[in-house]
Amino acid sequence: MLKNVVYTLVIITCLCSQAWSQPQSDLREEENIYEQIYNAPLKLIDGKSTTVLQLAEKKPLILALIFTRCSGICSPYLLQLKENIKSQSADATKPFNVLVLSFDSEDSVADMVNLAKRFELLDDNNWHFAITDSITGLIKSVGFHPVWNDNIKQFDHDALLVGINTQGFIIKKLLGMRGESDVALLIESINNEFIPTYRLPGKSSLFSCFNYDPKTGKNTPGLGLLFIALPALIAMLLLFGIRFVVRSKSS
Amino acid sequence: MENIRLKKITAIWIIAVLLLFVAAITLGIIMRLNQADVMHLNPAKFYEDMTVHGLTMIGIWFVAGMAALNFIMERYVKTSYSANLIALIFTVIGVVMLWISAFVGQFHAGWTFLYPLPLRPLWDSWAIALFLFSIAVLGVGWLIWTISLMAALLRKYSISQVFAWQHLSNKNPEVETPPFVLISMISLIGVLTSLLAAVVLLILLFAEFYTHGSFTNDPLLMKNLTYYFGHTIANEMLYLGLAVIYELFAEISGRPKWKTTWYVTIAWNLTLFFVLGAFLHHMYMDFVQPESLQLIGQFASYLASLPSAAVTVFSIIVAVYRTKIKWSMPNLLFLIGTCGWIIGGVGALIDATISNNFVLHNTLWVPAHFHTYNAMGNVLFSLGFFCWFSTQFSAKEVVDRMRSLKIALLIIGGIGFLAAFYIAGADSIPRRYSNYPSELAAGKSYALLGAVSAMIYLIAIIMFFVNITKRCLKMLFTH
Amino acid sequence: MQHSLLVFFAILSVVITAVFIFVYQSSLSASEENQGMKNTLQKRGWFLLILVVVLAMFASITIPKSPYFVYAKDIPSKVIHVAAGQFYFMMSYNAIDPKNPSSDPSIEVPVNQVVEFRVTSLDVNHNFGIYDSNNVLIAQTQAMPGYVNRLRCKFTKPGDYNVFCLEFCGSGHQIMRSSFTVK
Repeated sequence: MLKNVVYTLVIITCLCSQAWSQPQSDLREEENIYEQIYNAPLKLIDGKSTTVLQLAEKKPLILALIFTRCSGICSPYLLQLKENIKSQSADATKPFNVLVLSFDSEDSVADMVNLAKRFELLDDNNWHFAITDSITGLIKSVGFHPVWNDNIKQFDHDALLVGINTQGFIIKKLLGMRGESDVALLIESINNEFIPTYRLPGKSSLFSCFNYDPKTGKNTPGLGLLFIALPALIAMLLLFGIRFVVRSKSS
Repeated sequence: MENIRLKKITAIWIIAVLLLFVAAITLGIIMRLNQADVMHLNPAKFYEDMTVHGLTMIGIWFVAGMAALNFIMERYVKTSYSANLIALIFTVIGVVMLWISAFVGQFHAGWTFLYPLPLRPLWDSWAIALFLFSIAVLGVGWLIWTISLMAALLRKYSISQVFAWQHLSNKNPEVETPPFVLISMISLIGVLTSLLAAVVLLILLFAEFYTHGSFTNDPLLMKNLTYYFGHTIANEMLYLGLAVIYELFAEISGRPKWKTTWYVTIAWNLTLFFVLGAFLHHMYMDFVQPESLQLIGQFASYLASLPSAAVTVFSIIVAVYRTKIKWSMPNLLFLIGTCGWIIGGVGALIDATISNNFVLHNTLWVPAHFHTYNAMGNVLFSLGFFCWFSTQFSAKEVVDRMRSLKIALLIIGGIGFLAAFYIAGADSIPRRYSNYPSELAAGKSYALLGAVSAMIYLIAIIMFFVNITKRCLKMLFTH
Repeated sequence: MQHSLLVFFAILSVVITAVFIFVYQSSLSASEENQGMKNTLQKRGWFLLILVVVLAMFASITIPKSPYFVYAKDIPSKVIHVAAGQFYFMMSYNAIDPKNPSSDPSIEVPVNQVVEFRVTSLDVNHNFGIYDSNNVLIAQTQAMPGYVNRLRCKFTKPGDYNVFCLEFCGSGHQIMRSSFTVK
């Protein structure tokens, strides 16, 4: 009986976990952490001038590096960022701005205005589109290395999000197309929320006990936790089961 | 007839426990001598000793508690002789398998066999299988015994009666639940839970072992399960001993029997829950465990001490204070054991505080505190029962000639051996090191002090062993 | 810290033992007429209350000092990556690739600044225990395969620090070690 219960649970858990996909992180995300970002001067599309640190001082910053001629990852990744941020529940205690910065010296303020229009973000106060004349120092400080490919007239580059806190420190980086929970974790981190652990890429989370849920800032019980609850549950069931059996036998 | 069979099997349990106890203490002394640089074992050999020492000790004092519980339970309800016998046979087979897997197969993952260490190719794969099966055999035997004892109680008492809930509202209820029945049930449920945790753990280990790694486990889950099982069973076996004290202390002292009161009921009902949360304090240094669970671990560990201190310990003090008592070996052992148990508890509470654990975890402080409430607590509870059991059937009054000597040796040896652990722990000496690096060479002197004191303790135990075994053997071969 | 805990423990042990000896003596000298303790329920209540208050005080003092909360709001000046394996520690300023692990020959960390160790394991459970130059254990975290534990420390004394493994990991457990310098 007991074994059957356990096996059934094992099978159910296996099936459930198939549906999950584990986001893959990259070791390069560990580079430049807790380093100061290069304070590049910015030209915002509303005509104002500022610097990265001045912008970050107001609210923690998510930096997205793109170029407008991109026919590759820039658009889908910006779109996903927009959707991911839209799906975050508003939390006044965890504010942030998004800085979309071009790393292509050919891009002009007008190009960036068009980009903002295309994504319908022109009037969003939390989104800033900008260009800079000091891109080399900035991309070096965040470990971003685009390479110009003359055959296709495009940059080969990563999809990178850099999280910067109000003091201008790089707190967390996300590489590649990432889900909303990773973006939420990024927002937590740049608001100096210390989470004393994280998971390494590529490990199965089949029976893990907890999954960090950045929406609530808490760990949510994973399927593995079921296995910890199981012994106590079965013991209680056995208690009532035994009483039932011995009583029906004696009567 | 029934009672004679029960008497005999209890006598066999006692002889087996004491025999294995002497052997396991010897292994412990060998380990301390090796750490002191007096002996020179190869590290793998040391860790085989350590694995066997740990599991054997946990095993024997668990079955000692169960055997005592079973014997006394027969006063209230009819228990199953076959379950008792099955447990005995399975325990013997399991222990033999365990010793072979370690001493022949060189399996040495420690008694906690923390995943994924046991599955690593550091020893033959047959040794892994034999070890896992030995745990399975022990687990099955003990599960059967536990369930049968629960069934025996539940045949007579309803669920609410077995937890003594009728004592909460009514001072003199129609059906009285003796404290022994209440504590037995609470402890048995805890034992059952920990054994079930071991079943889940074993299933997951077997799954990975027999799929050759195509199925892998989550190390955090496995660690939680390991301590859920390991901590809980080590804790519950103490409570088995307490059940016996609640029954026998007054009786041996020639005083009126203890009765269940509302606060005894509340205390023990709460204990059931607190104990199941306390294992979380083993995971403090795993920052991956959510903070809320870490805090639950600290609170549960603190709370678990309240009913023990305010109800059980206080009751024993009340029972003794300015009360004329017929002191004999068993109730003296119970009293000293209670003192050792609380002192060990204080050591445990210090370590169960997260900020202390940060600098004490896995130093010798850890074996220090659990050896306190085992070697100077639980062992004395069981020895008290053994003494009482082996003398109560003889027609003439048994005079214990070397009573003071035995107790003195136990206490002197015990204090020296434990002090060596505590001081070394406070000196940051790690536990489970076969040899100490030059920076931690202070550990060697502590180990020597520990070894010598443990030998004194061993002499006392051998004296008990000779005495008790002689009387138990006589019991086996009469009638 | 450890030594004050030891003294605290020793005092409590002596007090507890003294109470037991006193109670035992009172029993030896008791006559048949002695009635034992009076008002036990009331005394029990007081005893419980004192215990609860003491433990609550303990909890409220110690919990904020838990390693998960200390330095949580600081920005570490340096990250040191640690990968533990049977039976070695690898330490590096850069992230360590589990598939192709490598370490830096020597590690230096700044004095009086918060540093963060990101500790993981490449095989079984290990423990990253930091010992100061007087061989006192000052901080630790477990190294669990598949997970990274972030340990934040501030070293106030310059010098050589040793690292020992504090989780039994096999026959080479006692030789597992590493070191770094605080400057």
